[in-house]
Amino acid sequence: MAFLINCPNCGRRNPYEFKFGGECKNAPEQGADMKAWCDYLFFNENKPGFQDEWWYHAMGCGDWLKIRRNIATHEIIEE
Amino acid sequence: MATTQKLLQFRQPEKSYDVIIIGGGLHGLATAYYLARYHHVKRIAVLERRYIGSGGSGRNTEMVRSNKRAHETLPFYKECLAMWDGLSAELEWNLMVQKKGLIALAHSDPELASMRMQSDSQRRAGIEIAMLSPEEIKKMVPSLDISDRPALPVVGAQYHPEGGTVHHDAALWGYAKAAARHGVDICVGVEVTGINIQGGKVTGVDTNVGHIAAPQVHAAVGGYSSEIGRMIGMNFPVTTFPMQVMTTDVMAPFLDHYVASPRLHFYTQQTLKGDLILGGHLDPWQSWNSYTTWEEASERAFKILEYFPDLAHARIVRTWSGLCDCTLDSAPVMGGVGIDGLSLDVAWGYYGFKSTPGCGKYSAEYIATGQMPEKIKPFALDRFYNRQLVREIIL
Repeated sequence: MAFLINCPNCGRRNPYEFKFGGECKNAPEQGADMKAWCDYLFFNENKPGFQDEWWYHAMGCGDWLKIRRNIATHEIIEE
Repeated sequence: MATTQKLLQFRQPEKSYDVIIIGGGLHGLATAYYLARYHHVKRIAVLERRYIGSGGSGRNTEMVRSNKRAHETLPFYKECLAMWDGLSAELEWNLMVQKKGLIALAHSDPELASMRMQSDSQRRAGIEIAMLSPEEIKKMVPSLDISDRPALPVVGAQYHPEGGTVHHDAALWGYAKAAARHGVDICVGVEVTGINIQGGKVTGVDTNVGHIAAPQVHAAVGGYSSEIGRMIGMNFPVTTFPMQVMTTDVMAPFLDHYVASPRLHFYTQQTLKGDLILGGHLDPWQSWNSYTTWEEASERAFKILEYFPDLAHARIVRTWSGLCDCTLDSAPVMGGVGIDGLSLDVAWGYYGFKSTPGCGKYSAEYIATGQMPEKIKPFALDRFYNRQLVREIIL
């Protein structure tokens, strides 16, 4: 196991209990053009280092949560 | 007999080139070879920051196949698979091409139905494919357990006789040697740190050994395409996932085919040496770390024992992983990015190895002519803006 995820409901848990939901991105404003939506949907920063990301606790409380994880080292910053 | 002659002479880069290829993997070296041999480009450099084949080219599972789904891409994958046949002769180097046949197991009726649908698309594209009953599979793979014992029994399979294996190192050195023979400079330890663009046109690259000028730069960087994106100030439509692979100890030959289970995400083949290569699926989260985990190894061992119970004595002796740049539609990105002189051959996910010859051929054609070849048009970057995603299923 590479790391543990601290779920606000369930505590520190095995990451295999979760479903990875991708990096946090800012959704375009209402009325934004198609290009902005395509950029939001398909394109990622995908940068080694710390990133904010979504995880879904599928085999736990069933909540979505955000964590800050270094995708090159799997170190997690807990606030 | 032992020889002291070097297989390949690596070179220091010169100050300028006609074409610079970033990435000394299979795709980069193949592109260099086809450019030099068929398009007669004289001054080509392949820049590799580590050693050739250090990325996905040295970390794959050697599988070649063309059993994809989307009809617009099938002619390309079909040609790639066919190209492997003549390559040993063309490169004058034995690539150990073994078309031993790929058997993809189905574990339920809906899965079987989906495979039939897929087979129909493939047959229409002229790809040889057949559906097998459990008894027919058993005749081909006697060690496979087709009984009701596994939690998900085998109910049928899709047989792809043209699928098989190619030795990845042999392919890499074959292309490298052939490219060098045609005058390509292969430079290792040269890391590209920036791409110079002036007035919307590429003028060269910055490296750890200084600036190198070139009017044409081609990025074939495997699992590191986002780094190229950052050099030109844009995001790419990829997320990087690691893929773990394992091998067992060497055993007597018992498995003649490549056996895969798309549903359970495992596949295995016995190499010429006698060890089993156990492939799987991407790790379930984004990572730039090529680590291996106990969970994946035990999962792989569990799944293979479900269907090959005789392997209970086998040991996993080696594991490795490689980075896969995955797009949402399971198709790569090839061609231009709207900058004159810059072309891409990236985002190949976990299907880059099998596509090597075609990628080299058509990337070279694109670089030499500036025209997007018909067969790789579906892979253009602007498909993400034109609602023309490739309708691929994950396989």
